[in-house]
Amino acid sequence: MIAVKTSRASLMLALVPLAFGLAQGAGPSRPAPPAANAGTTARVVAAANAFLATLSDAARAKATFGFASTQRTGWSNLPTGIFQRNGLRFGDITSRQREAALALVAAALSRSGYQKVTDIMNADEVLKNRGGGRTGGRPGGGGTGRGGIQFGLDEYYLALLGAPSVTAPWMIQFGGHHLAINVTVVGPDNVMTPSLPATQPARYVLNGQTIRPLGNENDKGFALINALDAAQQKQAILEYKVSDLVLGPGTDGKVIQPEGILGSAMNATQQSLLLDVVHEWVGILNDGAAAAKMAEIKANLPRTYFAWSGSTTNGGLAYYRIQGPTVVIEYAPQQGDLDHIHTIYRDPTNDYGAKLVKP
Amino acid sequence: MRRLLVTFVLLGTVLGRPVPAGAHRLDEYLQATRLALDIDRVSLDIDLTPGVSVASRVFGWMDTNRDGEISTTESEAYARRILGAVVLSVDGRAVPVTLVDSRFPDARDMTAGVGTIRLRATSKIPPSSAGRHQLAYDNDYRPEMSVYLVNALVPADPHIRIADQRRDPSQHRLILDYDVTTHSVSSRTSWLLAGLAAIGLLALTRRT
Repeated sequence: MIAVKTSRASLMLALVPLAFGLAQGAGPSRPAPPAANAGTTARVVAAANAFLATLSDAARAKATFGFASTQRTGWSNLPTGIFQRNGLRFGDITSRQREAALALVAAALSRSGYQKVTDIMNADEVLKNRGGGRTGGRPGGGGTGRGGIQFGLDEYYLALLGAPSVTAPWMIQFGGHHLAINVTVVGPDNVMTPSLPATQPARYVLNGQTIRPLGNENDKGFALINALDAAQQKQAILEYKVSDLVLGPGTDGKVIQPEGILGSAMNATQQSLLLDVVHEWVGILNDGAAAAKMAEIKANLPRTYFAWSGSTTNGGLAYYRIQGPTVVIEYAPQQGDLDHIHTIYRDPTNDYGAKLVKP
Repeated sequence: MRRLLVTFVLLGTVLGRPVPAGAHRLDEYLQATRLALDIDRVSLDIDLTPGVSVASRVFGWMDTNRDGEISTTESEAYARRILGAVVLSVDGRAVPVTLVDSRFPDARDMTAGVGTIRLRATSKIPPSSAGRHQLAYDNDYRPEMSVYLVNALVPADPHIRIADQRRDPSQHRLILDYDVTTHSVSSRTSWLLAGLAAIGLLALTRRT
């Protein structure tokens, strides 16, 4: 049983070599001007059609929804048994279908983004094999269905909303425990908000490699707060504790009053660090769409806030939030557990591609 | 500061369509409030998620007749108890809070530590005059086991601007300083005056 699980984890890692993830993320982000993304959309459509071609009629019916269906907002980071996802469950499909499903996810994301998704999924399998975690993983409950709660590699679901198209809007919804990726495709534009990358454990060893799925998000956040001088930190650091995501699942359309230090109060180096943090979320999506989004966020950087709560020493407990006109990012360790991280990535103006989709 | 007068206008679905939740707590009772400020009212969304280790206690507080079910009466009483621990004041004067809607999770979700109780409430406040005002929100429900989040939404009315926000370290309390510009007040006032003028005109017409 363990050997099977290990081989699945190895298979997933083999799909995208670890080197991609390790090579990416060290340098500063390089937001490029908006780029035509039509070629990427065509590749994503082809991957979606290839996935659908592997399915029986019954499976296809299970995997597909109308673009405007309520399924669009029906995502969560919670495990099966607490939140019932729709779509095709990985544990119910063949290895060929699973490979086609992952190929679709890979086509929609960047290589580093797909690596991050893979690392999060493998973390969940590790959590399952450990029998749960201190917070949220149901200690002793494991991921095998005791108490009705299930997680791990078999508990990821893929759903398509609308017909894959290079012109008409459609959506890819992929997720499971600690992961919700929503990619809306509208012609050449690809949008990945809202999405929720999370992880438990935050650090694990697999095939001799130490994996930190959200390690860059942690380290770059601490690098930024420590690049601020005392007066800037006074503006950035909130005087209160933040113990969870403020704009997690179920809060679509909410825009909270921003807090913290403005990008306009940062020097060029600090602004670059801020963009580098943002890129950890934006850059999950394919390179063309991510570059366009980064250019938009960079243009709005003077009006973008960075707020921090907690320790400023890397390794300590800290929450942070980045909030600008077209982006909200939160990074929130759960209940004081550094090994259990939730994050959220939203665009208050364009969640689910709202700006691009005509009603 | 006096406790709020809590009135119930409408008790919503007790077991409504589940709204996606994200928190899965362990030994804490998460109380997250989002507060929307308008010229003549404040709207509150309060989401309460008991962690798996405290959920049975919370369920016990609601299930007062110990039949293992949460009736509409019990959920209404519990919502009243929660709002009874909430104090909202504007410019130093407490304002009553009215429950608009409430949704309670089923026992299974609650005992798993993922069931979220959702309350929607509103407070009518005197139409704010132009200038600086202050709103204070206090939530003192079950502090011995709770963690709190409280946030103001960006006002939908462009004539209201939040100037400053302060909280205590545990987010029991939020104080908002906000500015109201003349245009917002004058436009509302002008609508009010226009309405009064129309009523007066109608009365005069009927007399003649």
